[in-house]
Amino acid sequence: MSQFLSSKLRNNIMAAPLSSSVVIILLISALDWLPAPGSAFLTDWDHTTSSATLEPHFTDCISRDLETFRCWWSPGSLHNLSTLGALKVFYLKKDSPTSEWKECPEYIHYNRECFFDSNHTSVWIPYCVQLRGQNITYFNEDDCFTVENIVRPDPPVSLNWTLLKISPSGLSYDVLVNWEPPPSADVGVGWMRIEYEIQYRERNATNWKALEKQPHTKQTIYGLQIGKEYEVHIRSRMQAFVKFGEFSDSIFIEVTEIPSRHGLVPFTLVVIFGIVGVLIVILLIVISWQQRLMMIILPPVPVPKIKGIDSELLKKGKLGELNFLLNGGGLNGLQPYAKEFYHEEPWVEFIEMDKENEEGGDKVDNCNSDTQRLLGLPHRNIEDFSAISHPDDDSGQTNCYDTDLPEHDTQMLIASMLPGQPENHQAILDALALETGERPLIQTQIEGPQTWVNTDLYAQVSNVMPSGGVVLSPGQQPKIQENTTGSERETQKGGKKSEDCEDNEGIKDWKKSEAQFQLLVVVPEGSGSTTENNAQQTSTPPNSPVPGPGYQTIQPQPMETKPAAMTDGNQPTYILPESPQSQLFTPVADYTVVQELDTHHSLLLNPPPSHSPSLCQPQHPLKAPMPVGYITPDLLGNLVP
Amino acid sequence: MSAHIRPVSPVFVVLVCLAFCSRLSSMKAASICTNGQTGCHFISLANLFDRVIQHSARMHGISNDLHSEFELYFLPSKNQIGRVSHNCHTSTILTPNGKENAQRIAREELTEVILKLLVAWRDPLWHFHQDMAQHHEFNNFSSNKSLEMSDMVHELRKGVQKVVEKMQMLGIISTSIGNLGTPEALLASNSAEWRLMNDYDLLYCFRRDSNKIQHYLKILKCRIVPENGC
Repeated sequence: MSQFLSSKLRNNIMAAPLSSSVVIILLISALDWLPAPGSAFLTDWDHTTSSATLEPHFTDCISRDLETFRCWWSPGSLHNLSTLGALKVFYLKKDSPTSEWKECPEYIHYNRECFFDSNHTSVWIPYCVQLRGQNITYFNEDDCFTVENIVRPDPPVSLNWTLLKISPSGLSYDVLVNWEPPPSADVGVGWMRIEYEIQYRERNATNWKALEKQPHTKQTIYGLQIGKEYEVHIRSRMQAFVKFGEFSDSIFIEVTEIPSRHGLVPFTLVVIFGIVGVLIVILLIVISWQQRLMMIILPPVPVPKIKGIDSELLKKGKLGELNFLLNGGGLNGLQPYAKEFYHEEPWVEFIEMDKENEEGGDKVDNCNSDTQRLLGLPHRNIEDFSAISHPDDDSGQTNCYDTDLPEHDTQMLIASMLPGQPENHQAILDALALETGERPLIQTQIEGPQTWVNTDLYAQVSNVMPSGGVVLSPGQQPKIQENTTGSERETQKGGKKSEDCEDNEGIKDWKKSEAQFQLLVVVPEGSGSTTENNAQQTSTPPNSPVPGPGYQTIQPQPMETKPAAMTDGNQPTYILPESPQSQLFTPVADYTVVQELDTHHSLLLNPPPSHSPSLCQPQHPLKAPMPVGYITPDLLGNLVP
Repeated sequence: MSAHIRPVSPVFVVLVCLAFCSRLSSMKAASICTNGQTGCHFISLANLFDRVIQHSARMHGISNDLHSEFELYFLPSKNQIGRVSHNCHTSTILTPNGKENAQRIAREELTEVILKLLVAWRDPLWHFHQDMAQHHEFNNFSSNKSLEMSDMVHELRKGVQKVVEKMQMLGIISTSIGNLGTPEALLASNSAEWRLMNDYDLLYCFRRDSNKIQHYLKILKCRIVPENGC
């Protein structure tokens, strides 16, 4: 009582304001002086009584299930009352104003216990108990209670624990503890609502740690350490009431280390890192070899493309239109076709023919510039292939433009593409091997016809005379007879497109007559050529006006007649006299001259003289090993893959 | 608490009203609906009982806390039980005093007892709260609790009435239980006895009665909505 009062006073003093605290202090002092006749069990006291003499008293009254309750008494220090039956228990149930004291319904003497069964138990009704001796009644007013306030439920049963999880570090773990409610408490009906409190501590520790009270029959304990042993017990009480029941028996929890778990974590880490590294390496490879991989996986598909020519057109077989286009009907002719056709083929060499090359004395434009200068022809647009189709071009055009220059590539193309002409393959290869290409090509072309073996189609201009003449230096040693005839013919490179066979023969005759000629003269201008030639014809020294090296004179054949026509306006710009005697005679470079177009739109090339009796024989493309820049619809099938 | 009413902006008041009114309307919408009503939020009887029981448990907890605080502040000299039998104004209501008694009486009777108790405590608690608010010895915590207690009694009564309605609708109990909210019932319970009680006794009595209500509701639920363990 005193302890209870002091503790409550302490709390009270802290909370109450000043005025009431003064009153309370006075009260306390008044109360403390009252003797305590006995200790009342209703209050939480420390089970130690201060007074020496103790009269019989009740030690405790407890209900376990809110349906029955028990009271225990003690005889006190007065031993004469300790005998059995000396003391009697009486109780008063204050359910009506006229209630009386009744004796204990059931004694349990050996335990000094009075048991009130459910018939004698009424909840929410105040009870008072007293002890009566022979003549003395020992009654403490504090020994009155209501049953619900003295309830202390039994401890829960079947306390058990399961491991929830171990932390990744492997140092701590969580445990789920579960239990059953006390069987004496009728929780199922709901007559009692119980809440539980778990306490745990380490094995050798002194202080218990209490978890929060809660009404469920399981609870988790977090943060237990591996390797240590823990002791856990539990107690219960009615909800919204104060008194707890007894603690249950303790259970012991211990978790030792699990090495397999430790081994698993680094292993998984190694696997993950390995996979990530491999993925990175693959990614780098893909990025670095992107181009090559793209080529391997998706190689480009060659598709024929012709500017101005629809591939659909080809498929439909409209060859007439195609032929028209190819022959220069449109703006672009064969050349773009060839170029674009072989766009992706690296081994095909295309030579760009543009206007810049025209000015240079390059062998590429050899024919172009030479012939032009020789024959005094007006400048033509090299790249315009359509010149072939325009018959109204100026006279004196050197058809070698059309044949040679922009179509070197075309020639190569056609040469390469035409099957069935095996004798040209070697020539093709030679042609392709060389970077320049047109010259050997032409050479091979020349070599096809028998008379053209060892003769050059082109003559290199070694020097330009101040008077305007051009000195040519042919390349190879010709056959004398054929060369002379051939060279005679070659002299007629004058681009006389209107020339016919007769003219050629006339020229040839004229050449024969000019046996005295020893010099190769090329007159760049057109008009003055004749006179120059004539002038030079009179001079007979074979090697006299030789300015540069490599110059060779060709003596005209005595057998040749001199055509009178040579003095006419349509003389060739250059005359190549032939002398069969001299071994130094060099053949004149032969130009393949397209004379005209026949009805089949075929190009009539200037045939070699000895090759056939008729010079007028049109150069059939099939007969000639190297048709130059010519394609017929028949050939188209060979060309188009 | 009344002394601490702060001035609030009208906008805030409007917002609060809107929220409250919407809540009220939603509560009405969540009322027990008859079969076939559309848009009705159906709650089972067991669910209703659970809610009511939880409410009563909480109410009892609060009353217990208040009673303990009262003992702390006003230090009764001795155990009051022995000296004076508390004249709780609800002593006239006959209540079953044990589990078996509660299980034996009729369900209608038990329900009626619960409702009578709840009705009887509405006014006393309200006045108790007013007293607490005026007496500044209590801290805000206690005065909040008294207000909460008073509200809870009110809400619990409404909840139990809803349960009764549902039970009557389901035909579990007869409709002999009158509406205890009628003015006659209120007058009967509005005896002046409770005005004679002091605060401590009032708290003590209410603590006891709230415990009764809690137990009775549990017994009633177990009897009406049988589940394992009943």
